[in-house]
Amino acid sequence: MERWICGICGYVYDEGKEGTPFAALPDSWVCPLCSAPKSAFSPAGAPAQPDAPAAPAKPVEDLKELSAGELSVVCSNLARGCEKQYKDREAALFRELADFFAAGTAPVSDPDPEGLMDRIRRDLEEEYPALSGAAVAASDRGTQRICVWGEKVTRMLDSLLTRYRTEGEDFLQNTQVWVCTVCGFVYVGDAPPEICPVCKVPAWKFEKIEGRV
Amino acid sequence: MAKRMAVRNLRLCTKDCLCLYVCPTGATDTENSIIDTEKCLGCGVCADACPSGAISMVPLEYPPQQKKAEAVVARANVLARSKALQEQTARQLARQAREDGLYRLLTAVTKSVRLVNEDLLREAGYMLPQGAPAHALLQSLVEAPPAGFPVEAARELLARIPCNEPEGKEP
Ligand code: SF4
Ligand code: SF4
Ligand SMILES: [Fe+2]
Repeated sequence: MERWICGICGYVYDEGKEGTPFAALPDSWVCPLCSAPKSAFSPAGAPAQPDAPAAPAKPVEDLKELSAGELSVVCSNLARGCEKQYKDREAALFRELADFFAAGTAPVSDPDPEGLMDRIRRDLEEEYPALSGAAVAASDRGTQRICVWGEKVTRMLDSLLTRYRTEGEDFLQNTQVWVCTVCGFVYVGDAPPEICPVCKVPAWKFEKIEGRV
Repeated sequence: MAKRMAVRNLRLCTKDCLCLYVCPTGATDTENSIIDTEKCLGCGVCADACPSGAISMVPLEYPPQQKKAEAVVARANVLARSKALQEQTARQLARQAREDGLYRLLTAVTKSVRLVNEDLLREAGYMLPQGAPAHALLQSLVEAPPAGFPVEAARELLARIPCNEPEGKEP
């Protein structure tokens, strides 16, 4: 009797409770929580991934100057910080700065979905392991947390974009796309999950993405 | 001056009214359900009595945020740049999308990447609006504003949110 764990959302498939061995499930079976494919599961206890591989000694570019896109994110994040502290006026001011930088963000020339997916995969394969390695070395558990959350959310984006590439519009017809407004987890289904599989907030924290009006 | 102040979360408040009975100043009894900050002494009796956990005692001062190792911040900045590019790419692709499903998916990706990046930069030093990195950033923007930058908004922020640690430390 084994327990299998979804590498994207953490759903546990308990063979003892389900009655069917994981291996006997059809290939078309998907995670009941996040729709990840069977291949995203690994047996409980198995080291999911070698934790924090020695950070590749790739030199880090010096990025002292934040780009407009990043400045917008810094400011929208600080706006949220002010909201949490019930500082409404300050939140509005930071949002004004965030909008200024968003408007000034340089457009990407020839954006294409493949390039987007490549970048997402590079984050998963290189950047998250490197950051989480540095965080472990510095005993920085806050940064380890965002690596855990961010990696799961990013894996889900990779999986959804991949599904869209194979299934096209059929994948999303007559169903909804939801975003957890706390951690960014994206979920496809008629209703949002009861709790966010990544950050555990309740369903009402999910935003439904509306189509064009 | 009180070091904290009661704030009622209207979403959680079930109108059981215990806070009305216990507040020594009547600060909790208002026509708009928002606790009167002028009257609140910060004693916390209402928060203890509330059966719904609807009242938070919000601090007026915050301790300095955790210091971050340079190696961590450097790595986080690299990832943040990658996320910012993804957000912008997804936004442009959403704009171009003809199909409804694709449009919704890419809009979700745009929002998702922004949220992940906010969390990342928060951990990389921009956790508190009161922190030195946030202040140094606002200060540098006021001193050398990019074209069209709303300088007044940044000035007002600097005036309204005092820095809670020795300044001069770069993010
Ligand atoms: S005690 Fe709590 S639930 Fe009752 S009215 Fe006050 S805030 Fe609302
Ligand atoms: S903290 Fe004390 S004074 Fe302020 S609202 Fe609550 S009970 Fe009243
Ligand atoms: Fe979440």
